[in-house]
Amino acid sequence: MRWLRRNALLLYAAVAVAYMLVPIFVIALFSFDQTSSNKLDYRWSGFTLDFWKDAFADEAVNEAMITSIQLAALSTIVATVLGTLMALALVRHKFRGRGVSNLLIVLPMATPEIVIGAALLSMFLIYGIGLGFTTLFIAHVMFSISFVVVVVRSRLIGFDRSLEEAAADLGARPLTTFRTITLPLLAPGILAAALLAFALSIDDFVISNINSGTTETFPLYIFGVSLRGIPVQVNVLATMLFLVAVVCIALVLWQQRQAERMAAVRPDPEPATTAPGGLVRAPAATR
Amino acid sequence: MRHRNPSTHSRGRAALMALLVLIFAVALAACGDDDNVGGGNESATQVAESGPVRGEITISNWPAYMDTGKDNTVNEFQNEKDVKVDYVEDVNDNAEFFGKLRPQLEQGESGGRSIFVVTDWMAKQMYDLGFLQELDHADLPTVFENLRPDLQSPSFDPERKFSVPWQTGLTGMMVNEQLAPDVRSVNDLFDPKYKGKVTMLSEMRDTVPLVMKADGVDVDEATKQDWLDAIDKLREAAESGQIRRFTGNDYNQDMTNENVVAAIGWSGDTSIIENEDVRWRMPTEGCIIWSDNMVIPKGAPNTAAALEWMNFVYEPEVQADIAEYVQYVTPVAGVDEVLRERDPALADNQLIFPDEEFTKDCSTQPDPPGSAEDRQEVTEAFQDVVTGRS
Amino acid sequence: MSALRRRLVPYGLLLPGTVWLLLFFAVPMYFMGEMALRSGSLDTGGFTFSWEWGNFDEALSGSEEQLLRSFVYAGLASLFALLIAYPLAYAIALRAGRWKLLLLFAVVAPFFTTYLIRTIAWKTILADASPAVDVLKFLQIVPEDGRVLATGGAVVAGLTYNFLPFMILPIYASLERMDVRLIESAKDLYASSAQAFWRVTLPISAPGIVAGVLLTFIPAVGDYVNALLLGGTGQTMVGNVIQSLYLQQRDYPEAAALSFVMMLAILAVVLVYLRLAGTGAFMGDEEESR
Repeated sequence: MRWLRRNALLLYAAVAVAYMLVPIFVIALFSFDQTSSNKLDYRWSGFTLDFWKDAFADEAVNEAMITSIQLAALSTIVATVLGTLMALALVRHKFRGRGVSNLLIVLPMATPEIVIGAALLSMFLIYGIGLGFTTLFIAHVMFSISFVVVVVRSRLIGFDRSLEEAAADLGARPLTTFRTITLPLLAPGILAAALLAFALSIDDFVISNINSGTTETFPLYIFGVSLRGIPVQVNVLATMLFLVAVVCIALVLWQQRQAERMAAVRPDPEPATTAPGGLVRAPAATR
Repeated sequence: MRHRNPSTHSRGRAALMALLVLIFAVALAACGDDDNVGGGNESATQVAESGPVRGEITISNWPAYMDTGKDNTVNEFQNEKDVKVDYVEDVNDNAEFFGKLRPQLEQGESGGRSIFVVTDWMAKQMYDLGFLQELDHADLPTVFENLRPDLQSPSFDPERKFSVPWQTGLTGMMVNEQLAPDVRSVNDLFDPKYKGKVTMLSEMRDTVPLVMKADGVDVDEATKQDWLDAIDKLREAAESGQIRRFTGNDYNQDMTNENVVAAIGWSGDTSIIENEDVRWRMPTEGCIIWSDNMVIPKGAPNTAAALEWMNFVYEPEVQADIAEYVQYVTPVAGVDEVLRERDPALADNQLIFPDEEFTKDCSTQPDPPGSAEDRQEVTEAFQDVVTGRS
Repeated sequence: MSALRRRLVPYGLLLPGTVWLLLFFAVPMYFMGEMALRSGSLDTGGFTFSWEWGNFDEALSGSEEQLLRSFVYAGLASLFALLIAYPLAYAIALRAGRWKLLLLFAVVAPFFTTYLIRTIAWKTILADASPAVDVLKFLQIVPEDGRVLATGGAVVAGLTYNFLPFMILPIYASLERMDVRLIESAKDLYASSAQAFWRVTLPISAPGIVAGVLLTFIPAVGDYVNALLLGGTGQTMVGNVIQSLYLQQRDYPEAAALSFVMMLAILAVVLVYLRLAGTGAFMGDEEESR
């Protein structure tokens, strides 16, 4: 009983996480369901591996998936770069126009997707710009930048600058310091931001629906076929996407553990000291 | 922790910045294009050119209108004719598809598509706005040799100048015979017994004419007021919860899971619904017949190959493959003979090869009567019901 | 580096991103406003700019129900998301120890499968005759002759589910940075666990809560996919109307006008909320305390 009380919170967490995984579980489950190429029914009709073997048999699904991945990859790269630069500027420099920049970054996150999509459409229509991959790319970068800034910024805020200061003391030029110290230490944050941007892009339906013209991304394709009957390949691919995410995350975790192990090998950092300026700093290892 | 204290000084600056942005935007707008967004394409209608068949084409079609697995018709075509085909299933709704493509069509481009497949009324609208190319019958020998006689001169395109049917179909009712055995007319869908277990199509030209027919109106002679009255009837049913939702093709899932026991639906969908109790029924007052047509847009690349595709799918053997998969009404004559050898049950299926007796009370899909404004009014009224606006 | 160059560095860093956002967010917003003032129709010669303020009136009249419903659903979804997410975020940030990152990613990973598929999966799970609904009926949460799909409940449940990560992550971020020793100090000063929570933990996590609620509420108001898939005719939201105006009716001016009205309504609600909750929290302009 005491164990229950003490761990109530963790148990709750486990249940909550399980709840979040329910649809994934259902999707994965039905990717093994033996049914003619449509999965609309919650009733089970037998186990089969056929659809996993023929995962890439349906060309339409594949094309849509490839388009989505290309789009997500490109927009992630651009958004991550732009967003990281902006985060650096916002956190580390004092300058005028800060408030406006903040506003500009926060506004897209605070606007419903349908409004963003509609606004973009209005602009594209008025300029007579043809809708397609390019317009999708533009839209995806746009809504991802804000999220990248927020993630990288929060990482930057907790950043221990003593290493950079040490490098500067040793005569390294700012760019070198940035390249060899800042960037690698910032990497997990940037990676997290990139993952988020990628997920947002691959997932996007509303904005893409309005601005895609005739280009089909995975979500758009699913919307189309969901109306008549989803090919089981869709379940298979969705499960695959999930597994890829899990693998990526496992890699990040593993890399984290490696880094911690390496840190543990170094000599113990100093206990809390009074640094110049009179502030008490906790030892770096507690971060 | 330092707090931000927005002083009037920096607020003023923020306002200045906002003003600058606004000026910038207006300046951009000034360099922008037309004052006028929309409107049709004014250039002369051209005839699709034929020629040597090679290269590649892109075709836009509705989902599940062709087998896209291995050994499908596209692959056959690619192998036989040495043309690469990009077959895209991105037409989910006529209006939506048109809306998405419109900006490009106005510029005289087709978004890379050589063929789209759209329903009769949409094809006509596109043609009237100048977005389609005309088809020379001399280039389509197989098509016109095999096209069913009753489809040779439909009212929306009497000379078949711009459209070639891909499949035709019947709109009637999908009924779960176990749970709703006595639903025989569209009026039965309004029976309170089935409250909340009934859906109707969001395709105005299917749902409203059926409701009018059930009330004895001749849909070919209906007035705007008849349409609006039928829409009012639908509004009441929607508001009371009688109609669960207005659906596109997604009523299939609801019927499979028995969320819905009777619906307005399309004849070819029985093969998709995985519930043996569900059958398509011909309403006592008759059904609506429609066709989805292949059209060639202005600016379509490689029209020669597109025309060849049309000829190809009109060969009875090829069409038999399509008919077998899709199970809608095929527009090609002679396919029933081919299918009879493969599967006699299919050849006798009234939903694939309906005879005249079966469809005697059916009407072709009508358009709301009157001018473009009248049509807009009826469309808006219907959409308001679908989206629940009062 | 010269002083001038050093002063220009932040602007240089900001430039590409800002230009992108200006060009593809700010300017389109302006154009949407411009579109809202046009009149005409696609089939009769296109849209021309004519200061047509009537569009706003037309857009509003008849959509009040959808607007109200959107705010109610979004509000409920935010509330439920908060209730579900807070303990979860707390557990991950402060109790999970070495499982922390794993749990965190377990929370985010499902959202790599597409939004649509997840929602369609819920539609399957919550089908009228499914085992899940049978259980709910047994537990008396759903009446015997009732259903889950095509009700407000299903739409709110869908919204809650789909926006959970947006609630969890900010709360987690603010809790994670909390110094646990503060709680210990509170307890040393004879505070009970509950008091320690209310007076120490909750205020510290306030910025996260505010951010989470906003990131959930705002997109939820404009969502239409949940209503489309899980709802019925009586559950349509503003997003459905806008979507229909844009894609089916192709009445761009009215659609743009309605979008603006929706945004202004959201802005009003958000301003009131921030007033109550404290603005500094949202801008989150915490600087390193050096």
